[in-house]
Amino acid sequence: METAPEPLVRLEGIDKRFGAVHANRRIDLKINSGRIKALLGENGAGKSTLMNILAGRIKPDGGRIHIGAAVHAHLTPRRAIAAGIGMVYQHFTLVDALTVAENVCLGQAAGIWHHPRRSQEQVARLAAAVGLDIDPGATVAGLSMGERQRVEILKLLYRRSRILIFDEPTSVLTPPEIRQLFSALRQMADQGKAIVFISHKLGEVLEIADEIAILRHGQIIDERPAKAFGAREELARRMIGRDVLLEIDRPVVELRQPVLQVEQLDGGGLQQISFQLRQGEILALVGVAGNGQSAMVRTICGLAAPVAGVVRLLGQPWADFFSGAASGLVYIPEDRVGLATCHHLDLVDNFLLTTRRRFCKGPWLQRASATACLEALMVDFDIRPADARLRARQLSGGNLQKLVLAREFHRRPKLIVAEQPTQGLDIGATEDVWRLLLKAREEAGILLVTSDLNEALALADRLAVMYRGRIVDLFSVFDKEKLARIGQMMAGID
Amino acid sequence: MILGLAIVLSLSVSALLLHWQDKPARDALVILFQGAFGSWHALEDCTIKAVPIFLCSLGVAVAFRLQVWNIGAEGQFAMGAIGATWVVLQFPQWPAFLLLPAMMAAAALGGGFCGLIPALLKVRLRANEIIVSLMLNYVCILFLEYLVYGPWKDPVSFGFPMTMVFPPAAIVGAIGSSRLNWGLVLALACAVGFWIFFRFSRLGYELKVCGESPRVAGYARLPYHGLVIAVMVTGGALAGWAGFLEVSATLNRLQPSIMVGYGYTAIVVAWLARLSPASIAAASLLLAGLRVGVENLQLEMQVPAAFGGIMEGVLLLTVLAGGFFVRYRVRWRGFS
Repeated sequence: METAPEPLVRLEGIDKRFGAVHANRRIDLKINSGRIKALLGENGAGKSTLMNILAGRIKPDGGRIHIGAAVHAHLTPRRAIAAGIGMVYQHFTLVDALTVAENVCLGQAAGIWHHPRRSQEQVARLAAAVGLDIDPGATVAGLSMGERQRVEILKLLYRRSRILIFDEPTSVLTPPEIRQLFSALRQMADQGKAIVFISHKLGEVLEIADEIAILRHGQIIDERPAKAFGAREELARRMIGRDVLLEIDRPVVELRQPVLQVEQLDGGGLQQISFQLRQGEILALVGVAGNGQSAMVRTICGLAAPVAGVVRLLGQPWADFFSGAASGLVYIPEDRVGLATCHHLDLVDNFLLTTRRRFCKGPWLQRASATACLEALMVDFDIRPADARLRARQLSGGNLQKLVLAREFHRRPKLIVAEQPTQGLDIGATEDVWRLLLKAREEAGILLVTSDLNEALALADRLAVMYRGRIVDLFSVFDKEKLARIGQMMAGID
Repeated sequence: MILGLAIVLSLSVSALLLHWQDKPARDALVILFQGAFGSWHALEDCTIKAVPIFLCSLGVAVAFRLQVWNIGAEGQFAMGAIGATWVVLQFPQWPAFLLLPAMMAAAALGGGFCGLIPALLKVRLRANEIIVSLMLNYVCILFLEYLVYGPWKDPVSFGFPMTMVFPPAAIVGAIGSSRLNWGLVLALACAVGFWIFFRFSRLGYELKVCGESPRVAGYARLPYHGLVIAVMVTGGALAGWAGFLEVSATLNRLQPSIMVGYGYTAIVVAWLARLSPASIAAASLLLAGLRVGVENLQLEMQVPAAFGGIMEGVLLLTVLAGGFFVRYRVRWRGFS
């Protein structure tokens, strides 16, 4: 390692458990000024926990935090801020009704008077210094996600934070916004700030980081200057501990009738979307999150009416389909905890959420037969622990997702809309979910919405790339030429 | 547990208040208790008062289950009484087997209508049901007063605001030789129905899910708005029946003194007891006992009538605070 100056912050032996999960195992980490440090790891590897400890939001079970000469057993948010530690979270904390400058200065201004012009000038100067493009007088409500993120960064700069932590900052950004963020990060580092960049995206990390620390199962398993790492593949192997592309068998299924036809769908941020999905295939909708995928899912799942264009589900027009029972369509939402299941209810109640009509006799619910059915499914789908009396919140993410799949597949769907079905799951659960989806493909057409390209490549028969509300291109997964250009398509480069 | 602690705490606060008024606190609480539960006669009194409170509370609790806050039981109670009275005044010569069911139907309609208004405003205009139902109480009570001071006033009442005395066919009779009336049976039937409904019916399950999370309800394609309307109307109808029983069995006529705040007490009961009908019944008896006991206290010790309301309020506050401490733990630490 190069000889680094005295680090701004040194974490020593940080340890944290959440119940049975050992999120951080005796982690040592140095954060140096003027460098961009990437914390690379899969979902659940412990990156966010570690940084939340540094920001004072989580109290560690063991270890020490050295800031300059001071040593702390743990930090509070207040102490972290005083020490110049600031974090940009994935979910922004801005007041929509206030302007950019007001948000930045909120709670920081001295005195009781508010000087809009002076604070706007200050904020403009701060933004210019690191090359962030923002209008300090604009109201936050009208800003894009990228602009909001810039406001969050300015908040930290305004407080003179010296250590800026970014939790998955690119997940909400469009490619040009990512460019701008990276150049700002570089400028801030050049000005002597320490930047910590949490990510699970290899390409970005290699591009921006000076130093890379790889977390796996709560441990730092490797830490080196970025230059000392080889290609992406090496990083991926280190991060996952095995070769990254899960190969799973994909039997050929005969295509049958179309289950979803979309023609010239417009509105709600969508532009002229047309495609067809047939029984027996998986169509993956890929792209950076926020390019119209959720508007499309909302329309197809009946939550928002199409503004213009034609959507036909299982041969029926949209309005007819959703005014009826809408049977045959199944929606596996990204938010399995808050939308697909009810946290406090037991698994039988959760199972009945969408299957209740099958377990009814007149006005009465036949809970006993539902329980029996669920118990059989739990064995089939290998959901553990296989106890129907548990509450939904007692299941792990992977098992909860398998419960949702078991429930939805039990309805014998013809059309499945699956949104980020493996987000936050470990490799084992991911593989299980993939197998289940491939099996369901034999009976149904699946629209897979994912921002994970590996997932799309492993499962899909065809890919549709979305950018700014349009389908840029739609092609077979065997089309090598187009596959090679997929990154450019996602970035909107023709 | 919490309820027990809350009762002890509110009793101590009450004792303190009594002490400040130079009343012997311990004796007073003993008198209160004896007045409420100390004799067969007192227990009968309690039960008679507990029945309308219980019915109103069931109505409030159904809505609470959906996290819809029905504060309008008082007004729904009034509208139930008005509906029942209207039937009597229109068809005084009907026999009991026609008159009583018609009164029940009219009471349910009156109360249900009064529950429908906040529900519709909530789902259509997103108006806050707490405010609407609360304000509607005053409208209903004023309407009731208008009727008994005006068009429905009994010509032979010497100017008192009251309707004529109901004919015997319009009166819910006593059970045997006791002072309890058949309304108790109606209340018990409602309790059993309530329990069966929530335990075994699909609609009961759907209500439970909606109460847990409207978002999940939307995902599961549950008719959330329809269910909100249904629970508010049902709750209104139950409170309406309480009004019907009061006007028919207890007062035998409609007069302003029918409004003694059962609808507000019902909110306290529903909150104390949460959802099981058995605990609602127990809490109804408890708060009815408080009312009877305070009446006794008034006679024996000249304690102001408002004292009962104060105790009720303290009880609710301690339970609310207790709920907080069940969910959170207080940790003392310095701020840095």
